[in-house]
Amino acid sequence: MRTILMLVKKEFLQVFRNSLLWKILLIAPLAEFILFPFTADYEIKKLNIAFIDYDHSTTTREIQNEFVASGYFVSYGNINSQKEARSLMQRDVIDFIVEFPCDFERKIITNEYTQIAVTANAINSVKAGIGTNYVQTVLFDYISSLAESFGVESQLTNITITNIYWFNEQMNYKNLIVPGILVILVTLIGAYVTALNLVREKELGTIEQINVTPIKKWQFLLGKMIPFWILGMGEFIIGLGIMYLVFGITIQGSFWLLLFATSIYLFVMLGLGFFISSVSENQLQAMFVVFFLFIVFVLLSGLFTPIEGMPSWAQYVNYLNPMSFFMDIIKLVILKASNIHDIKIQLLVLTGMAIVINTAALLSYREKVK
Amino acid sequence: MYSIVVENLIKKYNHFVAVDNISFKVKRGEIFGFLGANGAGKTTTIKMLCGLLQPTSGNATVAGYDLKKDYKSIKKNIGYMSQRFSLYEDLTLYENMQLFGTVYGIPRKILKERIYESLDSLQMTEKANSLVYSIPLGWKQKLAFATAMLHHPQIVFLDEPTSGVDPIVRREFWNMLYETANKGVTIFVTTHYMDEAEYCEKISMMSDGQLKLIGTPSELKSKMNVDSIAELFQKIVNR
Repeated sequence: MRTILMLVKKEFLQVFRNSLLWKILLIAPLAEFILFPFTADYEIKKLNIAFIDYDHSTTTREIQNEFVASGYFVSYGNINSQKEARSLMQRDVIDFIVEFPCDFERKIITNEYTQIAVTANAINSVKAGIGTNYVQTVLFDYISSLAESFGVESQLTNITITNIYWFNEQMNYKNLIVPGILVILVTLIGAYVTALNLVREKELGTIEQINVTPIKKWQFLLGKMIPFWILGMGEFIIGLGIMYLVFGITIQGSFWLLLFATSIYLFVMLGLGFFISSVSENQLQAMFVVFFLFIVFVLLSGLFTPIEGMPSWAQYVNYLNPMSFFMDIIKLVILKASNIHDIKIQLLVLTGMAIVINTAALLSYREKVK
Repeated sequence: MYSIVVENLIKKYNHFVAVDNISFKVKRGEIFGFLGANGAGKTTTIKMLCGLLQPTSGNATVAGYDLKKDYKSIKKNIGYMSQRFSLYEDLTLYENMQLFGTVYGIPRKILKERIYESLDSLQMTEKANSLVYSIPLGWKQKLAFATAMLHHPQIVFLDEPTSGVDPIVRREFWNMLYETANKGVTIFVTTHYMDEAEYCEKISMMSDGQLKLIGTPSELKSKMNVDSIAELFQKIVNR
């Protein structure tokens, strides 16, 4: 016990004397928090839209105005042909083309069948998808209000689409991204800092002096883990503070449950960090491995793209991704007020992962070189 | 009474034989000089005896314990100073000694006394709270030796402890070794300085992984018909 406490003390002294590490630990979360949510915003504004109007009626002009008034579109104005439209789109000048056929207004009034063609530039599929939704909304809104003013019951007004977004009522993407960043933060401290720490001792040769002592492997590893566990929890709590103060996101569920889940997740990441560092020769190797895993974890975690949209093999791979389970927990507890029963499967999986990876770290760490 | 008994120790890396079937004995309280050119296998041998490296075959008894079966007991009874300075540069002198003393299970109060005692004898008490990083190399080496001796080991392994150190500090360092040996501690030391080899009670010479000679300095000189250990070294290495 005294040995472990002494090792913890040593690690803390080193962290606080390493001015660079200390600054990184302090500045990284702040910078990420302040930059990330604004850059990873899915809301799209200023979509460039052009119109091909064969009708030249009041209705089509009003619809065009509606697009601009919605605030999501910037009008490129009227263009004359499909050919011109195509070339504009190829040059990325416009994102959407809305085409009104001849007699559009007359057919609307007489309640005849008519069509509007909407063409989207789908190079960025997210942009195209979201933009198409906006286009539909603007058109539906206009046509139903038109129908009402004529006292006509249009077929469109029979169907009203109402979206109610649960747990994130304003569809505020920051609510999703900010907790996601908390996850990234904890992961970085857990895996990165610890992986580099142990390899550094290998590089400096100090590990040799430790290895000739009667110190036991588990003592040594615990002595390394406890300080970084404490630092990780500290960072997480600071992150929660920023989340509330800067973004006004409050934790809907239990704060203590959140801390409990984080502490388990941290053990998974610490174990991973040590496993990587005990099989790496130098800091560079360790860094590449952590970086690679980190990217895979983040992309599969469902932070940027929904897991349900991934191919099934990727979804299976995700069962091995601790970040995806933790991301779940964080979202559920922060946004949805889930309790321990709702997240027990995720907690159990993470606990299992913590046991496996730490055992692997313990077994792969060698006091004796072959 | 022997502190170290090595029997047919071999270390191979693929086809390269770093240590080629060596056997020797070191008496208790002896200063045993382990000489050889770079790459002769000295460090490899020391690492195997300290339990840092797995031998390919052969065995040894260190401090009365079997290297294969009981290397954990060996660790409690040996001190080790590696070729590369390996205390923590970003900890103070005191913190380093406290860390290693604690790891060896020295009770808190006794440890504190011992640390100040040894810092006193090194004349480094004033520097107790300075970072190791800030002291000169010669001091670092003396500190590393004192740290390796905190738990009163029976044997201490020193891998080129004086390389890069000035002649005055080297002299002081060897005085420390004499004092320590007089207390009955076995000293197993490698060096490239042939004048230092003359101070050893017994020396051995390694070349290409093999142990070529072993004996007291005067014995070996008369046997090989040379005037100094330096000449002897030339003869062995060039052979």
